[in-house]
Amino acid sequence: MKRKLSNSGLENDHPEVSTPKRPRIALSKTNGALNGHAPSLPPTNGDATYELPEAPRGQSTPKKANGVAATPLKESGLKTPTHKSKARSLFATPTKPKSATAATPSRIKNADRSAKKKSARVLFEQDEDAAWDGSEQLAEEILQDDEPETDKAVEHVAESVEAEDADKSKEKEAKAPKRRAGRPKGARNKRSPTPEGELPAHERYFFQNRAGTAKTSNTTLNKVSLLTHEEYFEKLGQYVDPCKDEKEYLLSLHHRSFPQWYFEFEEGFNICLFGYGSKRRLVQQFADWLYHKRSVSGSAPSIVIVNGYTPGISIRSIFAMIATAILGEDLPSKLGAQPTEVLELLQSALKSRPATEEPITVLINSVDAPPLRRAANQALLARLGATPRIRLLLTADSPNFATMWDISLRDQLNLVFHDSTTFTPFAVETNVVEEVHTLLGRKGQRVGGKDGVGFVLKSLPENARNLYRLLLTEVITVMDDGHMSDYEGAGESGGRGNEEYGIEFRLLYQKATEEFIASSEMMFRTLLKEFHDHQMITSRMDPSGMEILGVPLSRDEMEGVLEDLVLG
Amino acid sequence: MDPEGLEDALDLSRDRSQNHGVYIYQPAKPGKATGERPSKRRKVSSTDHRGQKSDVKCFVPLLNGEENAESSQLRHETYKQLWSAQEHKIQAILEDVDAGVLADVLSFVRENSPETCNGCIPTGLVTVGSNVSSLSRLLSRLNDQLLASGEGGVVVLESGDAPNLKSSLKNIIRAAITNTEGNDGYQKFLTDRAGPRLLGYDLDLLNDYVQRKGTKKLVLALRDSEAFDPGLLMDLLSLFNSWLDRIPFTVLLGISTSVELFEGRLPRACVSLLQGKHFEVQEAGNCVDRIYESLQTDPQGKLWLGRNVTSTLLEKTHDYFQTPEAFSRMVKYAYMSHFFANPLAVLLGNPAPATLSHPRLCEAIRNLPSFRMFCEDLLEAGSPDDVRNLLENDEYLLQEALSHVSAGQQSMQQIFQAVLVIHACIQHTQQGSKKSNVSDLSVRALSGELNDSQVADDMLATVRTFDSEKLGLLLESLPKTLPADLALEDIRTDFATLVDANAEFEPLRSEYNINSSVVKTTVVQQRILLSKGKANLSEQDIEYTRIVDRLVGALQEYLTETLIQPQELFMHEAFLFDLRNPLKENFTPRPRFALERALANPFDYLISSTDASGARISAKQPATAILYQLYLESGALVNIHDLWQAFYGVFEGDQGNTCDDRMIMSLFYSALSDLKSFGMVKNSRKKTDHLAKSAWMGL
Repeated sequence: MKRKLSNSGLENDHPEVSTPKRPRIALSKTNGALNGHAPSLPPTNGDATYELPEAPRGQSTPKKANGVAATPLKESGLKTPTHKSKARSLFATPTKPKSATAATPSRIKNADRSAKKKSARVLFEQDEDAAWDGSEQLAEEILQDDEPETDKAVEHVAESVEAEDADKSKEKEAKAPKRRAGRPKGARNKRSPTPEGELPAHERYFFQNRAGTAKTSNTTLNKVSLLTHEEYFEKLGQYVDPCKDEKEYLLSLHHRSFPQWYFEFEEGFNICLFGYGSKRRLVQQFADWLYHKRSVSGSAPSIVIVNGYTPGISIRSIFAMIATAILGEDLPSKLGAQPTEVLELLQSALKSRPATEEPITVLINSVDAPPLRRAANQALLARLGATPRIRLLLTADSPNFATMWDISLRDQLNLVFHDSTTFTPFAVETNVVEEVHTLLGRKGQRVGGKDGVGFVLKSLPENARNLYRLLLTEVITVMDDGHMSDYEGAGESGGRGNEEYGIEFRLLYQKATEEFIASSEMMFRTLLKEFHDHQMITSRMDPSGMEILGVPLSRDEMEGVLEDLVLG
Repeated sequence: MDPEGLEDALDLSRDRSQNHGVYIYQPAKPGKATGERPSKRRKVSSTDHRGQKSDVKCFVPLLNGEENAESSQLRHETYKQLWSAQEHKIQAILEDVDAGVLADVLSFVRENSPETCNGCIPTGLVTVGSNVSSLSRLLSRLNDQLLASGEGGVVVLESGDAPNLKSSLKNIIRAAITNTEGNDGYQKFLTDRAGPRLLGYDLDLLNDYVQRKGTKKLVLALRDSEAFDPGLLMDLLSLFNSWLDRIPFTVLLGISTSVELFEGRLPRACVSLLQGKHFEVQEAGNCVDRIYESLQTDPQGKLWLGRNVTSTLLEKTHDYFQTPEAFSRMVKYAYMSHFFANPLAVLLGNPAPATLSHPRLCEAIRNLPSFRMFCEDLLEAGSPDDVRNLLENDEYLLQEALSHVSAGQQSMQQIFQAVLVIHACIQHTQQGSKKSNVSDLSVRALSGELNDSQVADDMLATVRTFDSEKLGLLLESLPKTLPADLALEDIRTDFATLVDANAEFEPLRSEYNINSSVVKTTVVQQRILLSKGKANLSEQDIEYTRIVDRLVGALQEYLTETLIQPQELFMHEAFLFDLRNPLKENFTPRPRFALERALANPFDYLISSTDASGARISAKQPATAILYQLYLESGALVNIHDLWQAFYGVFEGDQGNTCDDRMIMSLFYSALSDLKSFGMVKNSRKKTDHLAKSAWMGL
C-alpha cells in the first residue's frame, strides 16, 4: 500500500523533473570524456538511461545550498576509493523499504524517517565511495517520498545558485549544472554496483573487492536465536518449494541424456557431472535406468555407488567394494592394506574375466568432497578410471573441482563433462547446521544456550552446581583480564564461543578442593564428566600440554547462568 | 504436502543408502517406485521390444522418437565401422611415432649392463615434454617386448606409489613379480619359501625371483621422476647400486622439464651412481597433425570434421598440453555426436530404400538450410519442376539426397586432395622453419578460403620462378592421383623431353625468374628511372617458360575448381560435422560459470511458467540463489545479521505477515552452508559476526 503511494508520487514528479534533466546527461558525459576516463568505463546501459529521469533534480540541491565544496565533483572520474566512506551497512538499507510494507504503521514511519535521515546524510556527505556501492541512488529513491513539498523551495535556492554561476567560463559552466545535480549522473550510472559484462576478470576482482565500502554495521547475531539440528529439519520439512515443478522438469531433462551417457560409457569415456545442486538423486535414477535397461536383456550390471561425502570414507574401501562386485564369492579373505594392492587385485581380476561379462559401473557422488579431495586419492581414482571395463561416473559440486586433476590425471580419467544443474538442496552431503555454526564461529557452542544449561544444573547435586559456578567465575575473570590486555581479542569474544578462554584443569581442581567442592581428583573428574555429557564444558590441550577447560556459552549467557546459580 | 513428497524433496527417501560410504546397487523394490519412475520404465521397455540385440539400444530413435529401429541401428553400425577404421589408423600412427624411440631404448636396455657402465646403474633419461602419455605407451610396449623374449620386464613406479622407502620397495618388488606371475603367484612366492619368511620390502625377495626366473634385465621406470622426493630417490638409487651385482637393474627416468633441471635437483653422490643416455620423445603437436591429416585426407573418407570443430580441436592442442590420445578421443566424440544425434547420418550407411522411406526423414531434409539453397539454385537455373518434385515426391527427394551425399563426399575428398597438393608444393616453395602444415591448410580449405589465400598465391608465384631442377623435383612430388583433365602427365613428358634435349645447358629458367630479368637504369631529366625488362631469353628458356605457364595455369584451374566452400554443398549436413558445441562444452567445461549462472539467474535453468519476471530477487527463487544475489551486492566484508535481515526481507516482502521466520532461518542456513561449501564465504576475523567474501564472479 505504502509502496504504491510512493510510486504514484513518483509518477507525479516525472513531468516537472525530467525536463531540465536532459542536457545534464550530455554534459556529464562530455565531462567524463574530458577527464579521460570515459573509454575505460562500460557504456551506459539500458538500466542507466532508465534511472536518469527517475531521480528528481530537487533532492540533490540541498547539498549545493549547504555549500559543500565542489571538489569531489571535479574529481568525478575513477578515483581510488578512500576509506572515509559514509556508506552504512549495505544490507541494512535495502531491507528497510521492503520490510516497511509488512510492519506496523508506526514502525514504517520510524523506518521511513530514519531511512530518509540516512539518505539525506548520504547525499550530503557523498563522495566517491558512495558511487561505488550505489547507496546514493537508493537514498535518492527514498527521498523521493518527500519530493512534492520540498521540491519547490529547493528549486528556488538552486535557481539563485545557478545565477551566480552564470558568468563563469564555458567549461566551468559545463560542470556547474552537474554540481548542482550533486554528482555526475552519467558517471554514477556507469558505475552501477553490479557492472555489466564488459569488465575483464581481474578488473571484476578489484571491483568486487574494492576497499571503499568495507564499513559494515555493528549488529551481531546475539539476539537471534540460532537453530538446532532438530528445528532445522523440522522446519525444512514443512517448507513448500515454490520451484518444485521446475526442478522436476529440469530433472526430467537430464533423464533424457541417460541413453547418451550410456553410449559414452560404451565408447570408453568416463563421465563427470557438474553444476549447482545435489546430483545424488539423478545418479540414483541413472543407476535404476541402467539396471532396468540391462536386466531386460538378461544380464544385470554390477553397479557400485560411492558417497564421497561420507566422513571417513577411504579409497581402499571403495576399491574393496569394487573387487567384491567383480569377484563375488571368490574374493580373497585378505585384500591387503594398501589401496594400490587392492586396485591391482581388481585390475587383474577384471583382466581375467571373460570379455562378454558386463563391465563394472562405478558411480561416485561428490568426488570433490573433503574426504576424497586429496591429491593421492584422486590419483588412485584416476588409475581406476583408466582401467578398461570400469565405467566411472563422477559428480562434482564445487565450482573449482577441475583443479583437482592435472593433465596426466585428466588423461587417465578420460572424462566427458555434462552440466547437470539440479537445484536440489545438498541435504545429505553437508551437515548444514554444523557448517553454518562453524561459519558463524559458534562451533561447539551449546545451542540450547542458557536455558538448557540452567535446566541441567537444576537436576544436578549442589556440589556440581558449585563447581559450575566456580568454573563460570573463573572463566569470566579470565575473559575480563583478556579485555584489559587485548581489546581486539575481546571484540571477537563477544561473537564467537569462548573457547579461547578457559581455566587450567589443575588450577580448577585446586580451587575446587579449597572450596570443599571435591575432596579427591576422582570425585572432581566424576563431576566434570557429568558436565561433559551435557556438553556444558569444553576441554582442549594448550600448546604446553595442559588441559584447559572452557564453557561453550557466550559471555552474556555465562553471566546469566552465573546469576541464576548465585541467586537460586 | 504429503510425507512422500516431502521426503522426496529433502532427498531423504533413501535413508538406507545415503549414509553408506560405498555399496553395491540394489534395485529399488517395485512397490516403492516414486513419481516418475513408472513412466520411464515404460519408455525403456518399449524400446526393448523393437530391437532384440543389446547393441541397438545404445541409440535412441531420433526425429521426435519416430525414427524406425533399422535406421538407428544402421547409424550405430556405420559409426562402429567408420570409427574402428579410423582408430586403426590412429594406432598405426602412434606406433610409428614411438617406433624410433622404442627401438633406441630397447637396444640401450639390451646392450648396457653395469659392466659397460663402469659399475654405475645403466640409466635412460627420457624427456617427454608435453607428450605425457607417450612414456606409458613406450613402457608398455617395452614390457611386452622384454616379456616376449624372456629377458625380463618393466616395473613402472609412479610418485604416488612411493611415499617412503619401504612401501616403494614393496611396490617395486610386488610389481616385478606380479608382472610375470600374477597376483596369486606373488602371494605364493611370499609364502612358499624355505627359511624364514621375508618382509615384503626385502630386496632378497627380488633377488630370489631374479635367480629363479633367470631375468637378465629388470627395467625400473619412474614415470614422473620429477615428482619424487629427491631424498627418497637418492635412497632408492643407492640401494639399487649396492644390489647391482645380484639384480640386473636398468633405470628409465621420465622427465618432463629438462635433463639439466632434473640433474640439478639430485645430489652429486646420486648423479654419480648413474650412467646412461638421453632419449627424446617427439612432441605431441606433430603427432596430432599427423593424426588429423590421416583422418581428413583419407581418399575413402565418409565423414569430415568441419572448420569450427577443427579449429576447436587444434586450438585446444596448441593452447593446452594435450596428448595425442586425448586429441583422438575428442575426434571420436565428434564422430559419436554426429551419428548419435543426427538422423541424416543414416544416409552414410548405404541404407536400403525401405529403411529410409519415412515421411519424417524427408521432412527433416526439406528443412535443411542446404536444401533451401539447393532449391534456390535450381529455381535460378530455371527448373521449377525439379523443385516441385523435390518438395512433393518423397522418393525422388531421397534419391536426390543420396546421390548428392555421395557427390558431396567426392568433392570433400577432392578438397583434401587439393590440400595435399598444395602442401606438397609448399614443401618446395616455402623456405624457413615456419611451414604451413596440413591442419592449417585444412582449416582454410574447410572455410572455403584456401583458393584465394595468400598461401596459395605465394606458392604459385614461387613455382613460376623455379628453374628446371627445382621444377623437376616438384613435379615428381605431386601426387599421382590428380584428375586426368589436369594434363599433368603431358606437362611431365614435355618437361622431361625439354630437359633431356638441353641437358648440357645450365638449369633452365623461366622468364619470371629474377635472373632472367635485367634492370635498366636510365637518367631522364636528372631522375633515375629503373625499368625492368626481360633479358634475352634463349630458345630453351622460352620453351621452358611455356611449360611453367601451363603447369601454373593447370594448378590454378584445378584449385579453383576443387576448393569450393563445403557449406555450399547440398546435404553437407550429413557428411560434414561442424558443431562447435558438444566438443567444447563436454571437454572444456566451465563449472564455475555454470554455478554462478545458476545462482545469479536461476530461471535460466528453472523454466518457470508462472513467474516470468525473474529479474529481481524474489522469494520464488531457490534460497541459495537469493542469498547469492545478496552476496553479490555486498562488499568484501558482510555482516551476517544484516545479511540475514536482508534475506528475511525478501520473504517478508513477498509473503507479508504469514511468513514463518524460523522456516526462513532454516532456508538461510542451508543457503549459507551452500555458499560455504562452494568456497565463497569464510568467517572473518576482522569483526564479530562477519563473513569475508572469498570468490568473485565472472572469473
